[in-house]
Amino acid sequence: MKNIVIQLANVNKRFGALQAVRNVSFEIQRGQVCGFLGPNGAGKSTTIRMVMSILLPDSGSITVLGGSALDAKDRIGYLPEERGVYRKMRVADFLRFIAKLKGISRNDADSRIRAWLERVELPGVSQKRCEELSKGMQQKLQFIASVLHEPPLLILDEPFSGLDPVNRRLLSSVVRQLKESGTTILFSTHQMEQAEDLCDQVLLIHKGEKVLDETMGAIHGRFDPRTILAEPANSIDVAAAALEHVSNIESFRWSMEQKAFEIRVTEGVDPQLAMSNVMRATPLRRVELQRATLDDVFVKLVGGSVVEIETADKTGKPQVNHV
Amino acid sequence: MSERGATRRIRAIAWREFRYTALTKGFLIGAIILPGIMFAAIPLLPMLMSSKSAPLIGRVVVIDPTNSLAQSLEMSLPMSAQKSLENQDNSSISEPFKVELTVENISDTARVEEFRAQLKESSLRALIIVTPSADGPAAELLVPSGASPRHTTILESALREAVTRARVTQANENYDRLSKLMGRSAIETRRVSPEGNESKENAQLRMLVPAGFMFLLWIAVFTSGNYLLTSTIEEKSSRVMEVLLSAASPIELLTGKLVGQAGVAGVMLLMYGGVGLAGLGAAAMLDVVPLQHLLWMLVWFPLAYFTVAAIMVSIGSAVSDLREAQSLIGPAMLALTIPLMLWLPIVESPNGMLATISSFVPPAAPFVMILRLTAANEPVPMWQALLAVFVNVLTVAAILWSGARIFRVGVLMQGKPPSPMELLRWIKAR
Repeated sequence: MKNIVIQLANVNKRFGALQAVRNVSFEIQRGQVCGFLGPNGAGKSTTIRMVMSILLPDSGSITVLGGSALDAKDRIGYLPEERGVYRKMRVADFLRFIAKLKGISRNDADSRIRAWLERVELPGVSQKRCEELSKGMQQKLQFIASVLHEPPLLILDEPFSGLDPVNRRLLSSVVRQLKESGTTILFSTHQMEQAEDLCDQVLLIHKGEKVLDETMGAIHGRFDPRTILAEPANSIDVAAAALEHVSNIESFRWSMEQKAFEIRVTEGVDPQLAMSNVMRATPLRRVELQRATLDDVFVKLVGGSVVEIETADKTGKPQVNHV
Repeated sequence: MSERGATRRIRAIAWREFRYTALTKGFLIGAIILPGIMFAAIPLLPMLMSSKSAPLIGRVVVIDPTNSLAQSLEMSLPMSAQKSLENQDNSSISEPFKVELTVENISDTARVEEFRAQLKESSLRALIIVTPSADGPAAELLVPSGASPRHTTILESALREAVTRARVTQANENYDRLSKLMGRSAIETRRVSPEGNESKENAQLRMLVPAGFMFLLWIAVFTSGNYLLTSTIEEKSSRVMEVLLSAASPIELLTGKLVGQAGVAGVMLLMYGGVGLAGLGAAAMLDVVPLQHLLWMLVWFPLAYFTVAAIMVSIGSAVSDLREAQSLIGPAMLALTIPLMLWLPIVESPNGMLATISSFVPPAAPFVMILRLTAANEPVPMWQALLAVFVNVLTVAAILWSGARIFRVGVLMQGKPPSPMELLRWIKAR
């Protein structure tokens, strides 16, 4: 119990006719990084706001750092989904104000502000007004505001959205460093690669209900790999013609990125059997069973309700891709 | 929640609110420097507004078949000019100017058109046409189109006096003697304090003192209330509200904002009130503001401030921009402007029905009570004053409670502003 940092039990929240969160329960252990995933409008931000005690649940209980988040606000760092700064305030003044709210002394705050501005590559902006910063810079500023008081629990709502790849990578590495220093992190995201890269645990919420709560290892074990990657030894066209006649495969497409065919195994068929069939059909330079990605898991669990785009593979065979 | 932590957060929020309102260039210029300059400029106003009038020199023709008015006019002109100069001294706005007129008496009424022509050419300062009657002469004054209003006033005054003088003389009375007897008698009124001290009475100023107190309270409270409204809307629209709510509870945030803006209102009250008292002190009229009035101000200032501030902050939290706020502010503003419109009848009759009833009707009550309590003519019964304080304390508690509940729900709301029914639902919400 001592190691549980966040605990939700049968939490419900309704806004008028909309049941935003339905009977959600989960626990996050100390030092873990938990990815909070779900499509838009799934109830992620509402759940996070309830964890922060910004919203109160209609029923159920929420324990954060052993009590209510109201009692632990100084020990929680929070980056909300909707970013906001005082436009007319200078950067250093804004961060000092947040530091003061979190109980940091003026001297400590100044040294931490300097260090963090350097760390997120924002040197020389401390005397600028917040409104003079670009959107990405403001986002980094807000990130600093959430970690300035070195909280043991960090809650980040879509921390990487709106950032360019360089800053996304930068922030991602900072989050990784915080994880290594023992900070418990709950973050919501649509960036599956980021979640896969950073998370120990994944929570997936859909239409207000929890549909997945597993460690990354358990997810990889539970969701069977159903894609074979096959790099042909001869020409692509010859290999494609051969694959047309292979049994136990659902579809295949040429991946320019992988420089190989991505072959979907028919549901219920042993992937090893399908792989043997492929190897028999055409000479291959490389063949491997592709691991299920978080993206695949996400699509599998909430795919029925998300947009589907029909594309055609290299052979002209119609194929459905979930996005 | 630890009390120390809550106090620290409230203090931080209050200081930010105060600093970014009262210590900004906009506030210093708009609320301190400009009024300061205006106050400093009061003694300079006469100089700044002084106008130099042209001297009144020339001919005045009196067409008078009775030959009775010209002499009287000659006697009255210097007196009217003198009176005009005295008035100028009193107002201290215009510089004195020279009056040198020669009066020509013409008894031939057939020459009217000849002098009318001269008047049109402006070679005459005035043409006076006298008509005899049984009660004495009646006169008509004609001036050229370019005549200055001040010159015309002097001529009118002199002519009026000349006609009266001619009538009195025609009635065989002594005008100078009668004039002296009818002159305005000087009466000096002095007010005697319970201690027996006497001070010169200034009835007009005493009427203005309650209005001064009420306007002072109104301006201080509404200026800071307005800042509270705009800062809350800004925090919502810039989405910084959720960051604040992650660090402080809605009640801490609300309390900090109210305390910070109370400081702003206090600064304004002290500044304007201090300037007013200094002005009265300089004019040796401090006795029109007894200590008791200042103590009542200390009682009613927080009640007025928290009433208005809670209304403003609730509206600010419920809307997304100033335009939306206007529609919700309307009814509250209507109630709050009542004392501004009714201050004169309330001051004239501080214990009248209107004043007594409106003392207990929120949210205008604090402003009405300060008018009543500082009006000098009738003391307000103490039980009424204490009951009004009690009723207003309850009112403030109710408004703050409702405001806090609206604030708690409203700060995270975006989109279309709530209807009054929705606001009621927010107040009742868990």
